[in-house]
Order: sequence, then C-alpha cells, then structure tokens
Amino acid sequence: MADRKLSRLMQAPAVILLLTWMLVPLCITLFFSFIRYVLASSIRPEWTSPSIENWRGFGNYLFVWNNDGFWLAVYNSIFIVTSIIVLTVVLGLAIAILVNRTFPGQGIVRVMLISPFFVMPAVNAVLWINMILDPVLGLQGIAVGGLNEVVATLQDAPLVGWFFSLWPELIPISFRASQTSAIAVILMVTWQWTPFAVLIFMTSLQSEDQQQKEAAILDGAGKWSMFRFLTLPHLARPVSIVVMIQAIFHLSLYAEIEIVSRGNGNKNLPYLIGEMATNNIGAASATGIFAVILANVLAVFLLRMISKSLME
Amino acid sequence: MGSIKLENIAKSFGDTEVIPPLNLSIDEGEFVVFVGPSGCGKSTLLRLIAGLENATAGKVIIDGEDVTNVTPSKRGLAMVFQSYALYPHMTVRKNIAFPLRMSGMEPAEIDKRVEAASTSLNLNDYLERKPGQLSGGQRQRVAIGRAIVRDPSAFLFDEPLSNLDAALRVGMRLEISEMHKQMGTTMIYVTHDQVEAMTMADKIVVLQSGVIEQVGSPLELYKSPCNVFVAGFIGSPKMNLLSGEVAAKYNAHTIGIRPEHLSISDTAGEWEGVVGVSEHLGSDTFVHVHFDGSNEPLTVRAGGDLELEYGTKVFLTPDMKKLHRFDESGRAIR
Ligand SMILES: Nc1ncnc2c1ncn2[C@@H]1O[C@H](COP(=O)(O)OP(=O)(O)OP(=O)(O)O)[C@@H](O)[C@H]1O
Ligand SMILES: [Mg+2]
Repeated sequence: MADRKLSRLMQAPAVILLLTWMLVPLCITLFFSFIRYVLASSIRPEWTSPSIENWRGFGNYLFVWNNDGFWLAVYNSIFIVTSIIVLTVVLGLAIAILVNRTFPGQGIVRVMLISPFFVMPAVNAVLWINMILDPVLGLQGIAVGGLNEVVATLQDAPLVGWFFSLWPELIPISFRASQTSAIAVILMVTWQWTPFAVLIFMTSLQSEDQQQKEAAILDGAGKWSMFRFLTLPHLARPVSIVVMIQAIFHLSLYAEIEIVSRGNGNKNLPYLIGEMATNNIGAASATGIFAVILANVLAVFLLRMISKSLME
Repeated sequence: MGSIKLENIAKSFGDTEVIPPLNLSIDEGEFVVFVGPSGCGKSTLLRLIAGLENATAGKVIIDGEDVTNVTPSKRGLAMVFQSYALYPHMTVRKNIAFPLRMSGMEPAEIDKRVEAASTSLNLNDYLERKPGQLSGGQRQRVAIGRAIVRDPSAFLFDEPLSNLDAALRVGMRLEISEMHKQMGTTMIYVTHDQVEAMTMADKIVVLQSGVIEQVGSPLELYKSPCNVFVAGFIGSPKMNLLSGEVAAKYNAHTIGIRPEHLSISDTAGEWEGVVGVSEHLGSDTFVHVHFDGSNEPLTVRAGGDLELEYGTKVFLTPDMKKLHRFDESGRAIR
C-alpha cells in the first residue's frame, strides 16, 4: 500500500506537468471564446484586453456558426482529411504488399520509398505546386504542351491527319484556382504520407503467421480471399493507427494551404482560425473549440468504420 | 478414396537434399505414422503430400491420379498443424466453416455441417468464441473440426499433440484413434513421440535423414527391427545395444535385447553386473545395471515389487529367442 502511494507521489510531477500542458491552453481558449476580445478596435477600445467584463456568452459561437466561411472550412477540412486518409491507406496497402516480396534491390527501393516523408511540408508544397502542378512551367504544363504539339503535328500528317484533327486541344488545369486547390493539397500530402502508411503496414505484414496462410491454401482460399480474410483483419490495428495519426496531423494542415492558394477556396479550420486571429481572438477561439469537437467526432467515426469493416 | 502413393519423390532445399528419392504406398483407410528424430524430414514429406512444398523430382499419386502438379486445395486432403493455425479474427464457427465457404457451399448446408462437426467434437459451447479465448485442447479440436467438415479423402497431422500437456495428450490420442475407427478415412500422422506411434498406427514409417529405414506394423517393428536404428528408436525404454566381445560371442557385430527380455537373478546368469539406479513406476521397475561389456548401463524391466540395493551384484540373462543380432553395417541378421 505504502509502495503504491510512494509511486503515485513519484509520478505526480509528470502527471501534473502534462495536465497543465494540456489544460492551460484549453482553458484559456475556452475563456477567450466566451468574451469579446479583439486585437485592435478604435470604436470599442475596452475589447482589446481580455477581461471577464466583456463576457459574450455563446455569442462568439453563434457568430461563427452563422458564418458561411466557417461551414466551408468544416467541409474542406473533412474533405481534405478523409481523402488523404483513404488514398494513403489504399496506396500504402498496395505498395506494402508489393514491396514485402523479396526482389533484387529491395533495400534501396525501401529507403527510396520512405524518403518523401523526410521532406519539409512547406518545401513539399512549393515543389509540387511550382515544379509539378504548374500549368505552364511545371511537369503538368510541359506534359500537356508536349501532347498538344504531338497532336498538332499528327494533324498535318497524311492518312491519319483527319483522325487527330477531331481531337480537342488539351488545356492544363490550374491547381491554384478555388475549385482545384484542395485537390492539389490532397495530392501533395498523400505523396508525402503514403510512405508512413507503407512503413507501418510493412512491419505488420512481416509478422503475419505463415502456417495460417498454408492452412488457408489447403482450405481452398485464393489470393483475394487470403487478403480479405487473413491479411486485412491482421492489418486492422495498423490501419487504425495510420488513420488516427493522420487525422490528427491533417486536421491541422496549414503550410500547404498557405502556399498553394493562400486559402483561396480550400480554407480549412486552422487556416480560418489563423485569419480570424489577425483581429478577432474571441471568434478564433470559438472556432478552435469547434475544431476540437470536430476532431473527436471524426476520430470516433473513422475508428468505428474501420473496426466494423475490417474485423468482419 | 484415400490411397496415397509416393513414387521416387525427392526434395532439396537449394543444394541440401532433405529427402533423397523414396517410395511409399499408403492404403485406403490406413493410419500411417511417420516417426523419426527431429529434422529427419517428416514434416517435409507430409508437406510434399499436401502440396505445400513442390517436389524436386518424383510423383505424388492420390487414388491413382497423379497430383504432383495439382494445387493443394484440389487434392482433397485436410491438414492439422502443430500450431493449430486457426484464423484468429474469426469465431470458432467461422473457422470451421471457412473451407466450406471457400468452396462456395450453400449457407444452410454449411450450418448443418458445422453443427455436426462441433457436436461430435464437443465444441457447441464455444462456437461464438475466438480462438484466443480457448484452451490448447479446445483449439486443437477446432483445428480438427475445420479438417473434418471438408470430408477429405485423407487427413494429415503434423505433430498435432506436441503443444498439449501429458494428460490431455493421452485423451486426444484416444479421440483421434476413435475418429479414425469411426470414419475409416486414411490418416497420416507425424510425431516424434514413439508412444503415439506405437499406440495409434496401423503402419509405422521410420525415417532417418530423409530415408525410410523400415515400414511395418507397430508389432513388426517391435519384434523384428531391420536395423540398429529402428531397434533403438522403437520401444520404450530403449533396447539395450551391446557390441564388441559380448556381441562376438553371439556371432554378431552388435546385439540388442529389450529391457523386458532380460531376466535378473542374484545367484547365476550370463552377464555379471552391479545395480545402479532403480526407477520404480509401481507396475514396473526399471533397473539400470552397470556391466563391463557395455559403456552404458543396461536397462532391465522387472516386476514392480523388486527392490534392489544400489551397488548390489546381480546376474542378467537374455532371452535367447528375443535377442536381436546385427552385422557391421547395422543390418539385422536373421
Ligand atoms: N524451407 C526450408 N529451407 C531449407 N531447409 C529446410 C526448409 N524446411 C526444412 N528444411 C530442412 O529440412 C530438414 C527436415 O525438416 P523437417 O521440418 O521436415 O524436419 P522434421 O522431421 O519435421 O523435424 P521436427 O521433428 O523437428 O519437426 C531439416 O534439416 C531442415 O533444416
Ligand atoms: Mg516437423
């Protein structure tokens, strides 16, 4: 008994530190979300200092709730996060299974596969939007331009010219436009995070029981059945780890959104909070609390879905 | 249904030849046991029959049909693994139903068969549990159930009882023998426990480094082992093997005499020795006698009541009719 008390006592500093670490910012955010608090106001200078006298109740929350920009940001957050998760899990599974076989040069291939993960997010975004997706100077622009040129030359060719003259000229897509900028973010983050999924799935694939597979072969299971009934359930836990971690990380995407389009059309919750926080701290805090709630709802929902669909 | 024939079957892993070409035929309905020391290729031979391993040369023939290049699931065999190899995410019911589901059987028919198998194996109370929530013996039953439902032409067992404790092992041994008698299906059973081999088999195949040393019924192997290896491997406690001068007296390079065929006396006999450790099992006493003609003490099986002081001088006499003689190459002289 005394031992337990002593060990509790020894743990206490760490527990207290962690609790403060979490609770203090959360409490401050909660407090700010219930008061009027702006950084600069010439009409109401009393709002520029955080004080309980400026109590606004749920006013900030209502203000945010009735703001179209907020709902667009919620929608964008969910769209971006779930798309990235689905793509990385599917790609990660496929690549992990491919790379898990033995083949010459597998060591190098595995290292190269991991490398995107070591690129800084901002650098990743700059590389993608300028060098790959740019409609004029990027790979996309060059590829589309090249294709158009080839088609144009073929249109002048004898015999087959008529066929190619039916082809329309290809137009490169601008990924900085408000309709497509979220897609660009999804592409670049998927590229960067697929290695993470591959890494986790690969270690898990290596711990698969070989005798179970042999039993399944004797039981008449084909490749697909073995994947569906043995490998997928075996990977259920790693998949949920990948989903959870990515949900946490990607709900707070910022650098990519800033670099791709300055939030034009693909504003997510963190970006919106950042914009609001240039002046209206109260509203920004309320949005932050909404973001916390959204993160929890999303996490619970995703985990339920995984355990239901993978564990039979 | 259920006769298996191996023709010059051979297996090498890279450069190492694990099984040199061997021939074996197993009749329909037979209970065949493969025994041999660890690493002698028992599992490999079983996996060759199952199709989990590709033969380097030779043929596997099941029911007169060459199945050497047929996929494992089409050979109509069911295998029970040492580690059970149950599917951990599925309930017992789903585990047993899995092979039927894979063959595309009607759900109603699947339920009927699973029900029948689980009743015969006393698994009805556990159908909705996962393998992780079962004891070793229950898991073993599930593995057998998964094999039974397929109604295979032969069962292959790879040391199915070696993960169980002694008492459970005896029970399961009886159950498997009972199952064989009832179903009359061919069974091939791998073990390195020679008690299992003796008690269960119709026919024992003794293997050493991939080579079949002898094939025969348990009593045949016990009564007339064809070489020193089989003589030493079959029987418990081991046969006493003597060579040198003692053996020369009997015109042999090596002689062998089982513990139960040595009589012990304190007055007169063939060989004189000193009593070492005595093991009292109640029904029997195993007396270890140190004897000049042998490096190892001779084991003598005597009545349970016999009590001999450590260090007492005794005389041993072999039963001449039960004496085994072997030549220089280890082969039996008949
Ligand atoms: N995949 C493999 N690659 C190389 N060598 C192998 C392989 N599988 C088995 N062997 C070798 O083949 C030999 C026979 O193995 P096997 O598993 O058949 O032995 P066993 O008689 O079943 O032994 P045990 O009683 O210990 O299970 C062993 O020497 C083993 O090292
Ligand atoms: Mg083995």
